[in-house]
Amino acid sequence: MTSISIKDVWKYYGKTMAVKELNIEVRDNEFLCLLGPSGCGKSSTLRMLAGLEFISSGEIFFGDLKVNDIPPRDRDIAMVFENYALYPHKTVFENMANPLKMQKLNKTDIKERVVWAAQMLEIEELLQRKPVELSGGQKQRTAIGRAIVREPKVFLFDEPIAHLDAQLRSHMRGELKHLQRRLETTTVYVTHDQLEGLTMADRIAVMHEGVLQQLGTPGEIYNHPINEFVAGFVGEPPMNFLDCRIERAGDSVSLVYDNMNLSLSGEQSKILEVQNAASEVRLGIRPDNLTIEMGENHGMEFSAKIFVTEPLGGDMLIEADLGRDRMTIKRKITDLGAPGDACGIAIDIDSLHVFDRETGEAFF
Amino acid sequence: MASREIVRYKSPARSAFSVLVIVFLIVFFVWTVLPLAIMLISSFKDLLDAFKLPAEGDWGGVGVMFDFTPTSAHYVELFTEKHFGLYIRNSLIAALGSAVVSVFLGTMAAYALSRAEFRGKKHLLFWIISTRMAPVVAVMVPLYVIFRSSGLVGTLPGLILAYTTFNLPFAIWILKGFFDNVPYAIEEAALVDGANRWQSLRMIMPLVAPGVGAFIVLCVLFSWNDFLFASIIGSGGAKTLPVATAELVQPVKIQWGSIMAAGVVTTAPMMFLGLLIRRYLVTGLTMGAVRE
Repeated sequence: MTSISIKDVWKYYGKTMAVKELNIEVRDNEFLCLLGPSGCGKSSTLRMLAGLEFISSGEIFFGDLKVNDIPPRDRDIAMVFENYALYPHKTVFENMANPLKMQKLNKTDIKERVVWAAQMLEIEELLQRKPVELSGGQKQRTAIGRAIVREPKVFLFDEPIAHLDAQLRSHMRGELKHLQRRLETTTVYVTHDQLEGLTMADRIAVMHEGVLQQLGTPGEIYNHPINEFVAGFVGEPPMNFLDCRIERAGDSVSLVYDNMNLSLSGEQSKILEVQNAASEVRLGIRPDNLTIEMGENHGMEFSAKIFVTEPLGGDMLIEADLGRDRMTIKRKITDLGAPGDACGIAIDIDSLHVFDRETGEAFF
Repeated sequence: MASREIVRYKSPARSAFSVLVIVFLIVFFVWTVLPLAIMLISSFKDLLDAFKLPAEGDWGGVGVMFDFTPTSAHYVELFTEKHFGLYIRNSLIAALGSAVVSVFLGTMAAYALSRAEFRGKKHLLFWIISTRMAPVVAVMVPLYVIFRSSGLVGTLPGLILAYTTFNLPFAIWILKGFFDNVPYAIEEAALVDGANRWQSLRMIMPLVAPGVGAFIVLCVLFSWNDFLFASIIGSGGAKTLPVATAELVQPVKIQWGSIMAAGVVTTAPMMFLGLLIRRYLVTGLTMGAVRE
């Protein structure tokens, strides 16, 4: 129940830079996801919020309070660790009661709070067990229970569900999101799984090599990635990229890939003109925005050959060979196409992204 | 998971080997226990009975060993005339005192060395253990001089300090291994829960308890058995059991009965201790590598 301001924060480990000039405002009661591959500085950022790492330079505020020099115990935070970090010699009840015991609450109040949290997480019947007797999901619930008993100002989650099996993970995504909405507590959630970010967060901060790439709602991140990294990292299966050349003919601009030609819309052409794009660019298109048709005479922009097909149950991924590159297309499942068959691929021009090949910045 | 049991097939060699193993174990058992048994029995004999020997070659005469009237005279003498009660007290205070001091200081040093990263940490660690590498005799003279000028010779605090000098490096190394095995995240969780450093250290103490237990035993054993420090630094005011026992060997007369009784008094407590915490000792010495 506080906002968080991260202002010009840097983090060094010795001479290695982990976080570079980070600026993020987390709004009150917001669910913010720090997303990025391993080593991108997201965990360091979270640990600085928790007070478990020193801030090399910059400032972090909880509301109006500067917390740089405040130890974790006085920050009024609760954190769920990647490996749960339960106290192995204590029962589930004692684990969850610990934060309250530290606050010197009396026994009746502690019991009431722990039972309340246990009911919410549906682990009431496990309260007398020790962590070794719990499954991964139960351990994780206990760790979350330990975090929520206290009603802290801020929740910090460090990949809390990364080690659960796929089915439980998808279940817990919903649970965690529901819990956060119900408790209305400012939450910072670290993950490397873009799906967790897209499904749970109010806003996502994508980080790469210690630098914040883009901060926005899941929709903004997915539909308007600011650069090639964000475009490629978010979305499953990942976006297709093709190196293209720009050709201008009067007012209209088209992208040329080998002998295939793609005319851009007027608006898109204008953006490229205004931004003075170099002639070498990279085209990006999500597998969902492609259509495929079998046969030689398809009348579509790209001619390709099927490389492999991967049925996903309801949908199907088709990898098509364009000669130099491969493209992934997602479509409803049909029994078309064997490897080697010719096909045509059409691009939804409005969903197209174009990136600067040098800097990776997106034009649109 | 594949079974890790070693497949064994019966063969004459293997059968012969297993018989040999049993024979060896019996011999080894007799070898180990016989002196202790003789000590125990002799401590209840008066001097005449103790030296009664069967005729040479008369193996049936072994029974002579058990043919005596038990007497507790030696024990009574030890505790009345020879003040062994006081020496037991000294031994206990010196051993437990040193164990407590070593565990307290060792825990804190080991925790710090396990958690903090700083330049020269490896060298510091090596220096700590290197103090244990010198033989005790080598440091005895300088230590004696220092202790004498500080008025510590012949006092129990002096003896405790001397034992701690030798136990502490050991404590730091053993306990550091245990702290290294405790995930840092558990402490971080405690810190976030609202604990300060001290409280979070207390939180993980139960996890290093096997190490502390094992160390206390080794420490007590070292101090209890020690003769050199006790005879030189503890001489006079802080006489311990081994020294007192040695003093029973006098130029005019070796008091065998009392020596046997003193031997029993000295060894019995440690044997009980060993039995009591045998399990701890194994986990402790393997640095937690053995899973229960």
